[in-house]
Amino acid sequence: MSVEFILNGRRASLQAPPDSPLLWALRDEKDLVGVKFGCGAGLCGACTVIVDGQQVRSCVTPVIDVAGKSVTTIEGLNGEVAKAVTEAWIRAQAPQCGYCQPGFVLAATSVIATDPKQTSEQVFSQITNLCRCGTYDAIRLAVGYALSSLQGAESQEKGAAR
Amino acid sequence: MSEGGSTLGRIARRSFLIGAGVVGGGVLVGAGVVAWRLGAIDGYKLPASDGETSFGAWLKLGRDGRVEVAVPHQDMGQGIYALAVMLAAEGLRLPLEAVRATPAPIEARYANPVMLLDGLPFDEAAHGPLKQTAVWTFDKILRVLGMQGTGGSTSTRNISEQIRTAAICMHDMLARAASARFKVPADQLKNVGGAFLTPDGRTATYSELAPDAGKLKPNDIKPPPLARGAYVGRGAPRFDVPLKTYGEAKYGIDTRQPGQLYAAIRHSPRLGGRLDRAVIPAKIAGVRGIVEGKDYVAMVAETFAAALAGLEKAEIVWDDSMASSVSTKDVFAAYRAALDKGVDFKPRWIVDSAGDVVRASGKEIAATYDAPFLAHATMEPMNATAFVTETEAKVWAGHQSASLVQLMAAKAANVPSDKVEVFTPFLGGGFGRRADLDYIVKAVEIAGKFKGTPVQTIWSRAEDIRDDVYRPAAMADISAKVDGDGLPSSFVYRIAVPSVTQQFVARALPSAKGGMMADRTTVDGALFPFYGLPTRSIENFTVDLGIPVGFWRSVGFSLNCHFVECFIDELAAAASTHPLDYRAKLLARAGSYEPAIRAARVLEQMAAFDKANPLPPGKDGAMAGRGYALTASFHSFVGEIADVEIVKGDLKVRRVHAVVDCGFAIDPPNVVAQVRSGINYGLTAALYGRVDFDNGKVVPTNFDTYPLLSLEDAPNISVEIVNTGAALGGVGEIGTPAIAPAVANAVFAATGKRLRSLPLTLGPT
Repeated sequence: MSVEFILNGRRASLQAPPDSPLLWALRDEKDLVGVKFGCGAGLCGACTVIVDGQQVRSCVTPVIDVAGKSVTTIEGLNGEVAKAVTEAWIRAQAPQCGYCQPGFVLAATSVIATDPKQTSEQVFSQITNLCRCGTYDAIRLAVGYALSSLQGAESQEKGAAR
Repeated sequence: MSEGGSTLGRIARRSFLIGAGVVGGGVLVGAGVVAWRLGAIDGYKLPASDGETSFGAWLKLGRDGRVEVAVPHQDMGQGIYALAVMLAAEGLRLPLEAVRATPAPIEARYANPVMLLDGLPFDEAAHGPLKQTAVWTFDKILRVLGMQGTGGSTSTRNISEQIRTAAICMHDMLARAASARFKVPADQLKNVGGAFLTPDGRTATYSELAPDAGKLKPNDIKPPPLARGAYVGRGAPRFDVPLKTYGEAKYGIDTRQPGQLYAAIRHSPRLGGRLDRAVIPAKIAGVRGIVEGKDYVAMVAETFAAALAGLEKAEIVWDDSMASSVSTKDVFAAYRAALDKGVDFKPRWIVDSAGDVVRASGKEIAATYDAPFLAHATMEPMNATAFVTETEAKVWAGHQSASLVQLMAAKAANVPSDKVEVFTPFLGGGFGRRADLDYIVKAVEIAGKFKGTPVQTIWSRAEDIRDDVYRPAAMADISAKVDGDGLPSSFVYRIAVPSVTQQFVARALPSAKGGMMADRTTVDGALFPFYGLPTRSIENFTVDLGIPVGFWRSVGFSLNCHFVECFIDELAAAASTHPLDYRAKLLARAGSYEPAIRAARVLEQMAAFDKANPLPPGKDGAMAGRGYALTASFHSFVGEIADVEIVKGDLKVRRVHAVVDCGFAIDPPNVVAQVRSGINYGLTAALYGRVDFDNGKVVPTNFDTYPLLSLEDAPNISVEIVNTGAALGGVGEIGTPAIAPAVANAVFAATGKRLRSLPLTLGPT
């Protein structure tokens, strides 16, 4: 039995047991290792993927849950919002060890994409991922950059730390 | 009163067990052998294949025209690969894209003596012949022993001058080759984007010149003192940042080898417990076998999910006959008992003392502080991939010492160490955890049962937290007698704590006998105070109840700086003096003592910030407070100011300002990033961090029971760099020590309550 779904814009199927975690199916079966294992309990967000536009923790999502849905991993991330977010991430030089960063990028992209007119604070409140290097200042800066570029204004964030 | 001459410095009353303990471990290396081996080490050249030209140990020109810089340190987020690229590009006058970093081979040439030299018993101000001789001698021995390592905030200090020198020398060789080719004096050649240009318009690229240049004898050129250049002192975008943003950076856990199997591991739930037996009750799809280790069981399967599922179904019987029944309260009771026993307790080391603390007079102020065990909780859980045959082994893993991986993997695979290949991807965090290589040894043991097949062993988060080597818990009794002016006439510091170095040596190099010596890391942050404390006794009581302890970001500084800086704040309050003014007075009393002068410079900047940015009132009537702490660690000086609010009984850290003197900031934006990182790491510890033990079992298992600082609770952190031109200090760990005391002191400022236990818990208000 296999689970059919859309993976990074293409039809795909997974052979993994339907109740097994999406995280390991993506990593081991599809070799999408940008999806990271952090806690296995939905607590840290390193394994974040976007399912039908929503940020989802793949370590606590059974494979069967994505049947017929569209799953985006960091490898398949594209579009205007994603471009703005990743470019902002690089401009802010956010990553340090970098392990949690794809999860943050996906979380930020899905949150911002729902409403690019949000304030930074509204975006922050919807990101509950954890970063052990404590790159939070740079992540806040990056979110600000991304919103500014999407809102068409090189705004207040100018002159910040980097 | 001054603390002796400014260049004399101080030496501890004890010699210390240093670093890997190898020196105390009876490794005898005759001077003649040292000289002979050093010749070979100094002459080492990076291996070059066809079309490549090696320019010594650090640089070679690749076939594609890009320069490769060899980096013997692991990149665990601190950005050492990017820094190496920056320094090589600057010296070679190349754009960043023309240089790439590659892991250095495992060779003695790439030893990291700096990490171990920091364990010598000298203070910051010592420059005399005794220190020079000791440093020279140990440096040479350590170079011959060739221990590579990343830790102790040393990567930049260890390799930056070597790479700068190599780049300048290579540039000179290329220039001489161009000069010879064109028969034009070198000083008339122009240098443009990786090529030399003659006045009459002829050009030759570095690639074209490399074969000739590589044959020239290098000149002995010293790089100029560090100063602002094309990248140096300004910073440059890190090449690893886009890779990490787009999810393209590969970590140990991302290793994929043909035919690879996966292993899920479970350790004995109790410390010291052994595996009796483990069986798979029935055939499980995808499971290939079970490995019974001494204190663990591993399920090996075709996918990791299958391995995990198999482990859940396995019947495991543990042998608890040797298991520990230690609980957290036993540890603190043992500390209390040791400190109460006082001078009769053994082993007790007076590591630094002056004057007669017994005879000092004044009003006594005393306090007891304590701090818990802490886990590292790197974002990438422990994992390693190993391939073992009868004759060789390969290891793919993040770690903090390639040479130690080679030694330990060889032993575990039962092959000679030169038959072990080590591949090091990016590390998903280190923080000292990956200096202990238990997870690699176990992965090699497991793969050893599947000879000829690569096996990746991944620890669950629970295993990662429960089988850590913890930042030790500690307890400190601190007392001072104060004069009429409120300054201490005596200062007695007694810390009860196990020795990380002692345990590490026993784990990593069981054949080395370190002997009973004091461990400097247990008192780092308390010994050689920069304050004028002319009558003092700094004492260590080594108490070890068998809980595994390891190097945790900033090691002993994370304990001692906290205890000392909170106590100094208590003295300031007792003297009714502003904490910054009180510290200024204590520093002035140290006279021309070099560390006091550097600390005072940082304090001045803190005072300026304090004045320009008064504490905002708490929002909606919340209590607000500002706290200060001043620390020196890894040869850098850091002051931190923390603003806190108490919101409905909850402690919130709103803003942190840090002033940093690391000598010279080669990459200022990255110094800012690292200091912020160190602060947030320390904040997790200050606000939440504790690992408790209950009857030999570790209590927390995941981020619900071992919470990490979140985006929501992370304060805004500003960092101000003071370039003093002092010798390079460390950066990766220096933000951590000052934050817990700054926050604790801010809580006192807000509430009048002294919180003397970590994590900081307000309790009923």
